[in-house]
Amino acid sequence: MEPRWAQTGRDGPDDDDWGQQQPPSSLFLQLPSNATLRFRGNVAKAWGAALDEGEPPGAPQERDGEGAREQESVPLKQLPLCMAEKRILRLREQRVAWKRSRWEQWQVGMRHLWGQVRGALLYAQVWRGSLHRIEGHFGTGIQSYFNFLRFLVLLNLGGALLMVGFVVAPNAAFEGLQLNQTQRGQNSMVNRSCLQYDPTERGLVSYFTYLMDLLSGTGFMELTHLFYGYYQNSAVDFVGFSYNIPLAYLLSVLGYFSVCLLWIVHRAVHLLKRSLVGENWELSTYSHKVFAGWDFCLAPGTAAAMKHNSLRYELRMDLEEQTLRRLMAQRSPGQRLALFSLRGALNLLVLGLLGAAFYGVYRATEYSQRAQQDTSPGQQGLVLGLLVAYLPSIVITAANQLVPLAFGLLVRLERYPLSLEIRLTLLRTVFLRLSSLLVLLFSLWTQITCHGDPAADSCRICHYNHQQHPCWETSVGQEMYKLLVFDLLVLLLVLLLVEFPRKLLVTHGPAPLARLLGQQEFLVPPNVLDLVYSQTVCWVGTAFSPLLPLLHAAKFILFFYLKKLTLFSNCRPADRTFRASISSFFFLLVLLLGLAIAWVPLLYSVFVLQPSQACGPFRGEPTMWSTLWVAIDTLPLVAREFLQFVGSLAFAVPLFLLLCILMFYLMALDHSYSCLVKELKGQLRLEGQDKVFLVTQITELS
Amino acid sequence: MLKEEREFLAVFNFSYLNIQPSCKDKGKEQWDKNQDSETEMGNKQTIFTPEQLDAYQDCTFFTRKEILRLFYRYRDLAPQLVPLSYINKPDVKLPYELIGSMAELKDNPFRQRIAEVFSEDGEGNMTLDDFLDMFSVLSEMAPRDLKAYYAFKIYDFNNDDYICKSDLEKTVNKLTRNELTPEEVSLVCDKVIDEADQDNDGKLSVEDFQHMIVRAPDFLSTFHIRI
Repeated sequence: MEPRWAQTGRDGPDDDDWGQQQPPSSLFLQLPSNATLRFRGNVAKAWGAALDEGEPPGAPQERDGEGAREQESVPLKQLPLCMAEKRILRLREQRVAWKRSRWEQWQVGMRHLWGQVRGALLYAQVWRGSLHRIEGHFGTGIQSYFNFLRFLVLLNLGGALLMVGFVVAPNAAFEGLQLNQTQRGQNSMVNRSCLQYDPTERGLVSYFTYLMDLLSGTGFMELTHLFYGYYQNSAVDFVGFSYNIPLAYLLSVLGYFSVCLLWIVHRAVHLLKRSLVGENWELSTYSHKVFAGWDFCLAPGTAAAMKHNSLRYELRMDLEEQTLRRLMAQRSPGQRLALFSLRGALNLLVLGLLGAAFYGVYRATEYSQRAQQDTSPGQQGLVLGLLVAYLPSIVITAANQLVPLAFGLLVRLERYPLSLEIRLTLLRTVFLRLSSLLVLLFSLWTQITCHGDPAADSCRICHYNHQQHPCWETSVGQEMYKLLVFDLLVLLLVLLLVEFPRKLLVTHGPAPLARLLGQQEFLVPPNVLDLVYSQTVCWVGTAFSPLLPLLHAAKFILFFYLKKLTLFSNCRPADRTFRASISSFFFLLVLLLGLAIAWVPLLYSVFVLQPSQACGPFRGEPTMWSTLWVAIDTLPLVAREFLQFVGSLAFAVPLFLLLCILMFYLMALDHSYSCLVKELKGQLRLEGQDKVFLVTQITELS
Repeated sequence: MLKEEREFLAVFNFSYLNIQPSCKDKGKEQWDKNQDSETEMGNKQTIFTPEQLDAYQDCTFFTRKEILRLFYRYRDLAPQLVPLSYINKPDVKLPYELIGSMAELKDNPFRQRIAEVFSEDGEGNMTLDDFLDMFSVLSEMAPRDLKAYYAFKIYDFNNDDYICKSDLEKTVNKLTRNELTPEEVSLVCDKVIDEADQDNDGKLSVEDFQHMIVRAPDFLSTFHIRI
């Protein structure tokens, strides 16, 4: 049965139950609900003319809106009136202005100032011009990627400021000024063999060891400010107070993580407010595509043509998906069973692929670490040595590129609707990337702590594997540093060897090959996941390598320019419009997930693992956390008791319970609001039907 | 000058401007140039009185500098018509063809409706006031409700304060450049009305439209022209 409103085209009375005829529209126009429209007609006088005449013609309706305006609570520029009428209102306000008290004048002045400050801040954003040009040529979807990249640059610069300001710069200054350093920590009770640590090269060193050291963070790079091992466990007497280096190190690392968490949450909430994820937004895809689909910012020419194409493609795809869903709902139970068993088998295959990738990473890390200890770099030759050092990075990168391709093929066999397909592949890829990093860390952990067995041969003396890793924190830092360098190298190689040749082939090569390859499409989700992965590497490594945020900031800046270059030279816009705002929020969620994952190794090494005896600012301490307790003991009694109470279970458990209760309350509130909204919508529909029915009756009776 | 003479000159000027070959990339270059260049700032005092500038600042979302830049863009469309000084409140209206040929609006499928909605006479011929008003609403500082209101007026092709199915069909055809089949267009329009029509009268009123568009997450960023 076709919807009621489609029957308007018929003449004469219907045989409908409701007795529906479309009543004359003139009656509808007289209803009070129509008079609430704020502005009708666009006739207005020119400069100053309406002022002489008194009331402008549109005044009667205008007064309704104006009455709600309440004396400047809505600024003039936000009124939907034409310029002349705004001017009239403004003059009227100015006449009233001298009656205002000083307080109100001050308020108006403050509001003006605040508006100007906000306008100035908008101008001060970095890379504003580039982002604007990207938006014009490629749309808001791709611009959201570059926005995210800019946010990461700022985040890393802020973090680098914190780390450099409290850890690196003071150390450099103390050494430069050659201040008196008092050693802390008890070194007397420790076995001599645990204290042996000398990474510098001796004897005749071949030239390429310097290159290898630069690329893998060993040798001359190891005892620099870059890595944990360089810092001393000492307190420096400085201008009357004593600067406790290990405490500063620990607190700045924890502070850095907290600042990152707060910043990301603040931005996510800001984005969430704008994207209004209330009800299921999938219910309005068509209307959103039709009314909010055209990017008014697009530059003329090819960008606009591509947008037309992509909108047409999307609408067609949605209609096809609709028919597909209808077909799916009509499947018989036998077909459904077959489909579910197929999906189960494919999921097992996906799990198998993931397991294989993780195992590969684990073995590669093990082999690489063992090979680096057993043979000295000079014996291996440059290329082989680099390969061995970078083996974990190579395996992780290969897994990250190849396995999602397999996911893409498998998910098509599962025959989900397109939107679900995209989301499922994305979730699987996120899981793969973040877990491969965890597997790398797990593999390192097994080597450092001899598979967690403190009674094993190599771990008995120093509680960690001091032969392979005399300074295990620096080893972890080196792995993260190698991942950073390799990421950058891969980007450069892919640019040079894959994207530019492809573009050359497509523009100058033979036509069939060009049509087969097609121009490169800039896909936002894989690129954003790359960024999230790099940032997680940075977070994991910061505790062991204080300069890592600074290096990452530099790397992301380089990324920005390189990606912009490849975007403008090689790529065309994507076929499917990329929903910028919802997806931006989703990518921030994934970034938070990366941060949560990075907390795990940090907390584990701070609370559980014993720091290396031979190096670093925590040598001689039982755990990193113990320095904090020692420092707390020096505080006055009240502060000490308060902090001890806050850190104890008696405080943490009730706090946790309270937060859980709050969360459940908010969830219940949200659920009740959405039920209310549904009910009100139903009521609105009934009211609409009542209105049409009554108007029909009136016209029939009259 | 008589109104007819002015309009004749406008047409003449437009054809003079059109002598240059217009290809797609030229438009892109012009767009890029418009975003980068800062035209030379004339003395503010000679174009507007301080009172006028204050009024513009209060009534639009632009700063003084931006208002002057927009004035120069407006003047660039027809230098013969637009005087350099607005102190004497001249009554100058640029025809729609000139407005529609701006780089920012040239390829926008709704440029005619935008010009009609914001112009005084409803035909698309815009004074400087209308011009500033238009770009103020389409700027990134305008709030969502204001944009939703004007978006409704833009999509309401027959100006009856409702978006009915024929308006929707025109919108979809403009969006896809008539490349969808009529059945597909009709299906899409049916779906849109299904989703957004709250009071079940078969067309979208202002409230329906505003309620729906407020939930569109990308509306603020797409309904925005940078100039």
